Amino acid sequence: MKLFSLIPVFVIGVLLLWAGQDFPKWGDVESPASKSPVSSHFIANTGVDTEVPNMVTAVLADYRGFDTMFETVVVFIAGMAVIAILRGSSVGRPRRKDHEVEAEPDLIVTNTVRLIVPVIQIFAFYVLAHGHVSPGGGFQGGVLMGASFILIALSWDLEKAMSRFPIERCLFVAAMGIVLYGGIGLLSMMLGGEFLDYAELEKILPVSREMARYHAMLGVEIGVGFTVAAIMFVLYANLASEGRLKQGL
Amino acid sequence: MENAIAWIFIFPLFGSVFVALSRYVNIKLAYPISVLSMAGALWAGVETLKQAMASPNHEISYLLGGWTLDLYPRGVGIEFRADLLASLIALIVLGVGLLVTVYSKIHVEKETPNKEAIYYSLMMLQITGLAGICLTGDAFNLYVLIEVAALTGYGLIAMGSNRAAAATYNYLILGTIGASLYLLGVGYLYIKTGTLNMVGIREVIEANGLAESATMQVAFVLIGVGILIKMAFFPFHAWLPNAYCNAPTTTSCLLAPLVTKVMIYVMIRMVLSVFGVEFSFESTIWVSWMPWLVVIAIVCAAFLALSQREIKRMLAYLIVAEVGYMVGGVWIYNYYGLIGSIFHIISDACMTLCLFLGAGIILHKCKTTHFDGLRGLFSKMPLTMIGFFIGGFSIIGLPPTCGFFSKWYLITGGMVSGRWEYLIVLMFSTMVMVILFFRLIERIHLAVDESGKNLGKGHGDLGLTKEQTRFDEAPLVMLIPLLIAASTVLIIGVYNQEVVNQIETFLQAYDLPTGVVYK
Repeated sequence: MKLFSLIPVFVIGVLLLWAGQDFPKWGDVESPASKSPVSSHFIANTGVDTEVPNMVTAVLADYRGFDTMFETVVVFIAGMAVIAILRGSSVGRPRRKDHEVEAEPDLIVTNTVRLIVPVIQIFAFYVLAHGHVSPGGGFQGGVLMGASFILIALSWDLEKAMSRFPIERCLFVAAMGIVLYGGIGLLSMMLGGEFLDYAELEKILPVSREMARYHAMLGVEIGVGFTVAAIMFVLYANLASEGRLKQGL
Repeated sequence: MENAIAWIFIFPLFGSVFVALSRYVNIKLAYPISVLSMAGALWAGVETLKQAMASPNHEISYLLGGWTLDLYPRGVGIEFRADLLASLIALIVLGVGLLVTVYSKIHVEKETPNKEAIYYSLMMLQITGLAGICLTGDAFNLYVLIEVAALTGYGLIAMGSNRAAAATYNYLILGTIGASLYLLGVGYLYIKTGTLNMVGIREVIEANGLAESATMQVAFVLIGVGILIKMAFFPFHAWLPNAYCNAPTTTSCLLAPLVTKVMIYVMIRMVLSVFGVEFSFESTIWVSWMPWLVVIAIVCAAFLALSQREIKRMLAYLIVAEVGYMVGGVWIYNYYGLIGSIFHIISDACMTLCLFLGAGIILHKCKTTHFDGLRGLFSKMPLTMIGFFIGGFSIIGLPPTCGFFSKWYLITGGMVSGRWEYLIVLMFSTMVMVILFFRLIERIHLAVDESGKNLGKGHGDLGLTKEQTRFDEAPLVMLIPLLIAASTVLIIGVYNQEVVNQIETFLQAYDLPTGVVYK
């Protein structure tokens, strides 16, 4: 059987190598992807179109903001699917013993975490809000925020973390993230543009069209951050406790 | 409404979020919110189709984010393009979505207690994804939406019976492989063309003469195989029967008519709009051997369907055979074959919906879908069985159901392009379908069990008590969607010319042969 599964691996490998003969040269400025007017437009005009210095954020949240909205929806779906599958699935099954840890939370660990969690969370906000000018943004900030709660769960236990961020509230926050992202898109449509055409927000914000895009991008990044942070913790809490949401690792 | 095309995804997207939030207010709100938002989406779909028909070049282009198309090739943003094909298929997706949402009330309360909000929410996101796949004009956005549709599908299937988790795991592995191959193919396209817009890619392929490029050839193979896995084409079908049989009833009602069909739409879109007719049919060797693979696929799927003793499992293998029909219709490389293929997507969605809704009602009423539990169902649930068998007759291809007319075009395509193997296998599988459905009718009307033993006393006696054959029709909330689906099958059949006219208008833009090309 193992030998049999080597065949498709081999075939695909040969196929990929064969495709390589026609690739543009490594780092070639003449390659279609670099020479294409699309890439040059991003490099030359993101600052002009959106006032955002970080090109990656502008492409992600504005030029291709629709993709990012559905990526956020994918994260949301992942959280809901895990809840849907795990909730109630372990009723009647005995809890696996090797997951039990009979120990008090360690003094050194908990005190260290007590000190660094606020720092992590402030850094998460910084990464989230600073995505326009430096590497960062909603996904990264959200992951940091979610990780801080996971850290609490790891060093005390799941209940302690859930007393700070209950699962019900997680789902609410995650849904609010989508509402915020989609709502900004819908609002710009209501104001006369296309869906996600942030420039139309100038009609209600006291700024230029370019700055309207800038601020709307911050808004959608916050939406992404909400969803990602909440779903990170939902995934951890459900997977670690087999859907029981008690004790956990 | 100028933004109708955007409302197609706004309604179910926001609807699903509000449904997920409804658990904080009142869980009973989940059902009405989902029905209302699906009704809104269907209205938007009708409106979009009307606009596409009315516009001079029969397509509407919607620029998300408001970025213009001026820059060669076709702009920097993401475009939604609704030509006649896209809006027709999107309309079918939304229609099926609304019917299944209405139908699901009782099943969802029974099969997934306390999870209704999450269930409806995932269901609507599934429809959002599928409708988006139809409308998007961007190769990478298509991947994102495939991912949305696939992930919700995994969640929806895994909520089913105990064995659903294992079936979902299979589906997850195969589905992920398919999606990854597609994504890799899109990456290769981007390396060679520098754009992700579907029409833009075709423009660059034609302008730069990329037809002979090895990278493009490999991209074509990767995307093609990825989509074939996703649509459960025969050797890659292993995930489908288990996934659909162990899923909650309404999940299979939603996924079975839509997921495979939408993937065939993606294949047609890739062939016509992204790679272009010349590249796909002239520069690759797929035309010469794909019809033969289709022959193998249809024959095997037909035999597998024949060996099943359980309605849902039989229907699952029928879908695999139907996928073979439609793939064949594309790869016989003929104008009529493509008309047949596109028309068959539409009619297959409607008739599979009938069959699965009917099977769901049988399961609800009889607690089994095994062939042995069917005796006397016509006197017990006449309307349900009429709806179910209209779907069945359409699969066989009896006039005036829509299945007859779509198969007619597929057969015409096979004849005029001289692909006799495809023609013969279509005839063969039609015979198998006749056996499948008339065997069901026999099991319902005759008092003979599996081993041939007569259970009744003769003269039409079924060996059942009065109590067992008393009129006991399904609840209206389940019956009405089934009857609407059944009448849609008949209406599309009667007005088939209207549908074919739209498909022909769409295909006129492409240079397809009407005679023998392949030697």
